[in-house]
Amino acid sequence: MFAGLADGNARRVRAIEGQQTMLGRTMHAIAYDPIHDEIAVPQQFGQGILIFDGGAAGAVRPKRVIEGPRTQLIALDRLAIDPINDEIYVPEGRKVLVFPREASGNVAPTRVIAGPDTTILAARAVAVDTRHNLLVISASPLGSEGDSERSSEIAIFDRTAAGNAKPLRVISGIGGTQNIAVYPEGGFILAVGASYVGVWRLEDNGKVLPRYTIGGPNGKLVDPRGVTIDAKTKHVIVTDKFLNAVLTYAVPQLFESLPTAR
Amino acid sequence: MTKPPPRRAFIHAAVAAALVVAAGDGPRRVSAHRLTSGGDGRLVRVEPIDDDPGICVTASDGQLQRALAASRAAEASAQQGRRRASMPVGGDRVGGDPLRTIRDPNAAFAAVAVDVKRNEVIATDENLFQILAYSRTEHTPDGAPRSTPTRAIAGERTQIEFQSGIFVDPESGEVFVTNNDTRNKLAVFAQGVNGDVAPVRLLDTPHGAFGIAVDAAHQEMLITIQHDSAVVAYRKMADGHESPIRVLQGRHTGVADPHGIALDPRDDVVFIANYGSTHDVSSSIEKRTGVPSAGNDAGKTNWPLGREWAVPGSGTISAPSIVVHRRAASGDAPPVRVIQGPATGLDWPTGLAFDAAKRELYVANDAGSSVLVFDALAKGNAAPKRAIKGGRTGLANPTSVFVDAANQELWVANFGGHSLTVYPLDAAGDVGPRRTIRSAPPEAPSLMIGNPGAIAFDSKRDELLVPN
Repeated sequence: MFAGLADGNARRVRAIEGQQTMLGRTMHAIAYDPIHDEIAVPQQFGQGILIFDGGAAGAVRPKRVIEGPRTQLIALDRLAIDPINDEIYVPEGRKVLVFPREASGNVAPTRVIAGPDTTILAARAVAVDTRHNLLVISASPLGSEGDSERSSEIAIFDRTAAGNAKPLRVISGIGGTQNIAVYPEGGFILAVGASYVGVWRLEDNGKVLPRYTIGGPNGKLVDPRGVTIDAKTKHVIVTDKFLNAVLTYAVPQLFESLPTAR
Repeated sequence: MTKPPPRRAFIHAAVAAALVVAAGDGPRRVSAHRLTSGGDGRLVRVEPIDDDPGICVTASDGQLQRALAASRAAEASAQQGRRRASMPVGGDRVGGDPLRTIRDPNAAFAAVAVDVKRNEVIATDENLFQILAYSRTEHTPDGAPRSTPTRAIAGERTQIEFQSGIFVDPESGEVFVTNNDTRNKLAVFAQGVNGDVAPVRLLDTPHGAFGIAVDAAHQEMLITIQHDSAVVAYRKMADGHESPIRVLQGRHTGVADPHGIALDPRDDVVFIANYGSTHDVSSSIEKRTGVPSAGNDAGKTNWPLGREWAVPGSGTISAPSIVVHRRAASGDAPPVRVIQGPATGLDWPTGLAFDAAKRELYVANDAGSSVLVFDALAKGNAAPKRAIKGGRTGLANPTSVFVDAANQELWVANFGGHSLTVYPLDAAGDVGPRRTIRSAPPEAPSLMIGNPGAIAFDSKRDELLVPN
C-alpha cells in the first residue's frame, strides 16, 4: 500500500503479507469496499476469496474466506465488490459468479451468469455501476477464438442479471483488454488495453472507438494491467507489469464531459 | 573503504553505453564513448580504462544505469509496438505524461548462484528484468550507492521477465533462468555473455515456472510449476518445444504452490518448498475455456494439467511445507517425508539449497526475513537446526539461497533489500553478513512491486492498494 500522493521510489505505508494472510506472491486482483472498509483479494491457486479489514497490515488472517466445493471457483484472477447491494462478482471463464458480500466458508453463488445468450466465452474482468444498476463485463465473446480483433468486448448487463441473460448492449471490436473500471457519476468505462487505457461511455453500443485514450499510445505505458479512479482529485491510476510501476494521470476533462457522439 | 575488485569496460552496441567488468591488477574507471556496432547484439569492443582508485564503483554507476535504461527503453518500445495493434485508437489522448510514477529504479534480487570456477556470483533482478554478474568477492563499500555488475544480461532479445529461478552450470558456465508467470519459457545463456543477447536455448515451460534444480548425474533439470502445483523434469539440455520426461502432480504429492527446489544427490531425493495453496485437477472433467492458460501444451507429453482442468471448488489453503520426493517420482506419488507445522517457522518458504557434505537444507524464508537450516532427514513438525535471523543479518524478504561449498559460504538474495548477503556456512542467530552486494543505497526503499496486475484506491485512507 502506498500513499495516494506517493511518487518515485516512495516507501510503502503498509503491506499485508506472510503465511497467516493466506495470500501468496501471485495475487492478481484487489478490490476495496469504502462503505464497509474491507479489502477483497482472490486466491487463485486455493480457489478462495479472502476478505481483510480495510486497515489490515502485516501477518494478519483474513476476516472471512469464501472457499469450498459449493463455490464453483476455479481460477479466479479478478473480482469486484458492490458495496451498495452487498455482492462480490467473480469472472470465471464462461461464467460470472455472484456471492453475498458477507459470505464466508463453503457457500454457493447466489447468481451465476452463463449461457449462450450472454455472449461470454471468457470473462476477464467485471465492474459494477450501482447508480445505473449495470454490470459491466470485459470478456472474449463466443465465436471469437483466433480472432484478435474480437478478442475482447465489453458486455453491459442489468446488474441483477442471472442465468442465460442477454446483455443490454455490447461494445465490440476493442481488442485485448485486462482490467476495467467504471465511474457512474461521469458515465464512463475505463478499459486497460494495449499500452494505453481506453475510455468509453456507458451507453456506447456496437463497434465504437474509444472516446479518449490515457497514457498512450506512444506514451509511458507498456503493458498496463490495473486501473482505478480517484474521483476527488480527478485522477486515473494505472499499474504496468512491464514497468513494475504505478502511474497516476490527471484527467480533469474526463470528469467534466465526454464526447457524446463520434 | 573496501578495495573494489579490478575492472575493465565492455562496450556493447545494443545497450549503447559502457558496462563494467573486471580485469587487470587494479581498480579502473569506466568511460562511455565511441561505440562499435556489431548489429547483432554481440559484444563489439573491450576497452581498458584509466586507473582511478577509490571511486570506480561510483564512477561507473551512472554509465551502467544509463546503459541499462537505454536497453530497457528499447525493450519497452518493442513491446509497445507488438501490443499497439490489438486495441483500436479513437479519441484524443488525454492526461499527457503521468503526474506521478511509483517505481523502484533499482535491481531487486530474486535468485542467486555462484560460478565457483569463474569466481562470479550471478543474480536475477525481477524488477528491471536483468541477470547481473559480480565478482564473487565483491563487497559494496559503505558510502557507495551500489556495486556495479561486471556484466548485465538484459533487453528484448533475452526474453527474460520475472526470472525467479537460476542455475549456473559449474562446468560450462551456462546460466539457466526460469521466467515466472508472464513468459512461459526457460532461457539458457552462454557463459560470459553480456547485454541484449538471445539465449542459446529457449524451452517451453508450463505457466508459472519458479524454481530449478539440475541433476548432473542423470543430466536432468527439475522445475517447479506454481500455478499447477507440479514439478516437471526435462533433459538438462532440452530446448524449444521439447516435452518434459516426467511430471509430478496431484493431491497426494503434497506439492502446493511450489517455489524452490533442491536436490540431494546421495539419497536421490528432491526438496520442494510450498506456500500451501492448491486445487485438484482432473483430465476426466470437461476442459474449461476462458480460464487463464499458457496455451503452449499442444503436442506435449508429461505436461501438467493446467487450470482449464481444475476441479471447481476443490481448492485448499494450507500451512506451508517442504515435501521430499524421490527425484524420479512421477504422477500422483506421495512424498517420502514432509516438513510442516508451527515449530518449523516456515513463512512463505521460497528458495532452497542443499549442502550435500553437511547434509543440511537451507530455506530462504521470505516473510520471516530469515534463513532456516534443517537436517537432511528432518520431517514433521521439526524445528530448524539453526536460523539466521535478526536486525544485524541484513536479511529482507529473502527469496533465494545458494551454498558455495568450495568457499564454505552461504549466499542469500534479498528481494526486499536490494542486496545479496554472504555468510559463513555455519552462521546462526543475529549475525552480520561477511559481505554485501547492494544494488541501491542502503536507505533506498524496496518497493517489491512485481507484476502488479491490479490496483484499488482506498478512499478512506487515501492509499493505493497494489497486489503482487
